[in-house]
Amino acid sequence: MVSLIRRWLSGLLLAAMVFVALTPILWTVLGSFKRLRDIVTPVPKLFFSPTLENFAIILQNPSIREGLGHSVIVVGASVLLGAVLGVPAAYSLARHVQRLKGDFQFFVLSLRFMPPVAIAIPFIVIYLDLGLYDTLAGLILVYLMTTISTVIWLSVPAFERVPKEIEEAAAMEGCGPGEIFVKFALPIAAPSLFGALVFTFVLVWNELLLALTLAADNATLPVVAASITSLGKEVPWGVINASTVILVLPPLVFIGLLMSFINRMMKPGRR
Amino acid sequence: MNNRRFVFWTLTPGLAILAMLALVSIAGALYFSVMDRSLRYADYDFAGLYNYHRLLADRRFLNALRISVIWEVVTVVGALAVATLLSVMIFETVRSLWVRNLICLAFLAPVLLPRVAAAFIWRFLYSPSLGLINYLASLVGIGPIEFLADPSLALISVAVVDIWQWGLFFTVIMLKLLETLPKDPIEAAQLDNARTWEIHAFVTLPMLKGPIISLALVKAVESLRSFDLIYVMTGGGPGTTTETLDLYAYQAGINLGGRISYASAMSILLLLLTTIVFTLVWRGIRKWSV
Repeated sequence: MVSLIRRWLSGLLLAAMVFVALTPILWTVLGSFKRLRDIVTPVPKLFFSPTLENFAIILQNPSIREGLGHSVIVVGASVLLGAVLGVPAAYSLARHVQRLKGDFQFFVLSLRFMPPVAIAIPFIVIYLDLGLYDTLAGLILVYLMTTISTVIWLSVPAFERVPKEIEEAAAMEGCGPGEIFVKFALPIAAPSLFGALVFTFVLVWNELLLALTLAADNATLPVVAASITSLGKEVPWGVINASTVILVLPPLVFIGLLMSFINRMMKPGRR
Repeated sequence: MNNRRFVFWTLTPGLAILAMLALVSIAGALYFSVMDRSLRYADYDFAGLYNYHRLLADRRFLNALRISVIWEVVTVVGALAVATLLSVMIFETVRSLWVRNLICLAFLAPVLLPRVAAAFIWRFLYSPSLGLINYLASLVGIGPIEFLADPSLALISVAVVDIWQWGLFFTVIMLKLLETLPKDPIEAAQLDNARTWEIHAFVTLPMLKGPIISLALVKAVESLRSFDLIYVMTGGGPGTTTETLDLYAYQAGINLGGRISYASAMSILLLLLTTIVFTLVWRGIRKWSV
């Protein structure tokens, strides 16, 4: 009897936690379809006549449209370059480097310790001198630090999970290391690698500080979104909600992929 | 292509770019920290350790250091506590795999949100006049609470958002880790009539010691990057009650005044501190988790 009650209670608590996890997001989505008078009410409204006004304002606003475009270019290019440079490096680390492997991995991880301001301040001065300030190329370059290191960090375990026997058999057949990598290791590790790229994408898509300091007119979406609050006197809550929804959408699309990535990484590894 | 050449051509480009970027930022920050450069004037001079000297006497800097330490402790401990409690609870009560996966999906959503978006969402919820939380509070009879404007509440209110994002994410990871554990020790403990919480406190969680410490390290590193959240939610205010080191460095070096050198000295100290602490922890992890 007691255990039944306890089971009920913890079930209730879990339901409450799911509610806590999702309500803020759903409430924002709801708010993005509200007119301002439906938001500024003493009693929160669950039912209202929805409007697309906020999204229209957002998509007609040139700075937000440009921010979205810049985000797509900067994040796309830096993740792509991170993958091209990081994935082969991770494979080499996983399979061919023994003695210095730990040191390389620590170096890659230690880049994550660096406070973003410590990167931003020197780069703002150097970029001003070189004329790279406020360019997309400049942003892509600093983002490489995040993307390459994260891709390497997450891909090494993925390659370590590829059964060694397959690669050894291929080597017996006379395949060179490049061929083994492309034809055997890459396809087998691909699902995990994809998860690693998604994770990297989310990190860079969400980045604010570097974009805020190293770009002015060519800023990315988070910067533009962060500046919306200072539009006009009355806080345009509906518009803020709508821009939040647009900002949130791309990462959330990948939630299923991230889930299967976590599932795969947490399985006991077969070496 | 032989092995040696393959390793060279795959490793060098990526690591060279990383090394170059890291070197430029560290050397640059070090260089500027011993100068007296500001963004407003083009010329600058060697200033020695002047900036570091001034920092140690700067009360705003010491305050930011204190806030950063509090922030680290609260968010790391909070996220791990939430994750431990919830993951054990799901592990014990939810039997259906399908429901488990649904819960995990729901718990993953917050961490995927851009910090800027999470900050907006919660600013909206926290709002004293039109926020959902204050509406619920008023139903219970508690007056409007100024979550972000009250100096004693602001930091913890922002920390709640961080724990909302990371604690739930870690819950998913810890649940997956619990699922990978071998069943025999748990069954042996059950035969000894151990209570459920005893099984987890003395059997399962100690078995996960290594991964949990790694999670703590990851969280500690990520907590250092909370600039976005705090910047959008409070901007460091009210006063300086939520101003962490990176926020102060940003305000001093880029936003106001452009005191590049002063901010560089600050970020060098921050870099030194984190590198020392995390290197020690990293060494420790490798020793403990073996």
